[in-house]
Amino acid sequence: MEDKSLTHEESLHLINSMINKAKETYHNTGIGAMLWGTVIATCSLVKLSELHFGYRLPFDIFLLTLLAVIPQVFISIREKRKKKFKSYDDIFMDYIWLGFGICIFLLIHVNNAVFVSLKPVAIEYAQLTGHPSAFRYNEFINPLFLILYGLPTFITGAACKFKPMLWGGILCWVCSVIAVYTTVKIDLLLTAISAIAAWLIPGIIMEKEYRQAKKQQQQDV
Amino acid sequence: MFKDLDPILHAQLRLAVVSLLISVKEAEFTFIKEKTNSTAGNLSVQLNKLKEAGYIDISKQFRDNYPLTICRITRKGIEAFESYVNALQSYMKKD
Repeated sequence: MEDKSLTHEESLHLINSMINKAKETYHNTGIGAMLWGTVIATCSLVKLSELHFGYRLPFDIFLLTLLAVIPQVFISIREKRKKKFKSYDDIFMDYIWLGFGICIFLLIHVNNAVFVSLKPVAIEYAQLTGHPSAFRYNEFINPLFLILYGLPTFITGAACKFKPMLWGGILCWVCSVIAVYTTVKIDLLLTAISAIAAWLIPGIIMEKEYRQAKKQQQQDV
Repeated sequence: MFKDLDPILHAQLRLAVVSLLISVKEAEFTFIKEKTNSTAGNLSVQLNKLKEAGYIDISKQFRDNYPLTICRITRKGIEAFESYVNALQSYMKKD
C-alpha cells in the first residue's frame, strides 16, 4: 500500500474494506468449547451410569470440571498469545464466560447450603410420618444448571453470528424446562445432550472452520 | 459549507491503519502490516505521523525475547475519524 492521496469514493471503499478485514480475521479454535462439551457430557453420563447400574465411584465425577479449569487456562493463554489483535468482542466474551464460571460456583455453593438445611427437615419428616418425603431437591438441580449453561452459549451464538451455538443455548433452556418434570436420570441424560449440542458440536464446527481459515491464510501468503 | 478533509487521515496507508484500529481494541505491528500490505519501513513512518498527531498510541513490549509493537487508537483519533467520515459523506452528497 502506498502513501497516496485518495478520491472520496476510494476513501470510503478503503474504510469499508479495512473494517471488514479486521472482522474476518478471527476464527475461534473451538478447543475450549470441545473441552467443556466433552467434560460435562462425560460427567453426566458417568453419573447416570452410577445411578442406573447401582455402583459408586470413590469420588464425585463432577470434580472433573474443576480439573478441566487447568487445561482451559492454558488454552486461553495460548490462544491470546497467538492472536495478533484484541477486539472489543473478545473482551465482552471474556467477561460473559468469566461471569458464567463464577455463577456456576455460586450455584454449587447455594445448592450445598440448601442440602445442608433440608437434611434435618427430611429426617424429622421421615420420623414423624414413617416414610421419606416425596420431595427431592436434587431433581431440581439440573434444570438450574441448564438455565445457566444456556445463557452464555446463546449470547455467544448471537454475538458471533454462530447459529450452532445459538441453537445450542436454546436447546439448553428447552431441556431445563423438560428436566423439571423428569427423574434425575433423565435430567442427567438431558444435561449430556445439551453439553454435546451446545458446546461439543459447535466446537468441532469452529475447529474445522479455523483449520480452513488458517489453510486459506497460508495459501494467500 | 463543506469541511476540509483531515490531511493526516486523507492518505491511503494512514487511513487504512486508522480504519483497522477503529474496529479493534489494539493490534500488533505485524497484524497491521499484513492487513495493509505495506512495508515495515513505510508503515513505521506512517504510524509515527499518526502518533505525533495524537491519533494512536504505540507501546513497545517484549514477548519471548522478541520486540512487540502494539498500536491502539486514541479518543482524539476516534473523533478525527468520525469527523473525516462525516466530511466525506457531505462531499459525496454534494457530488
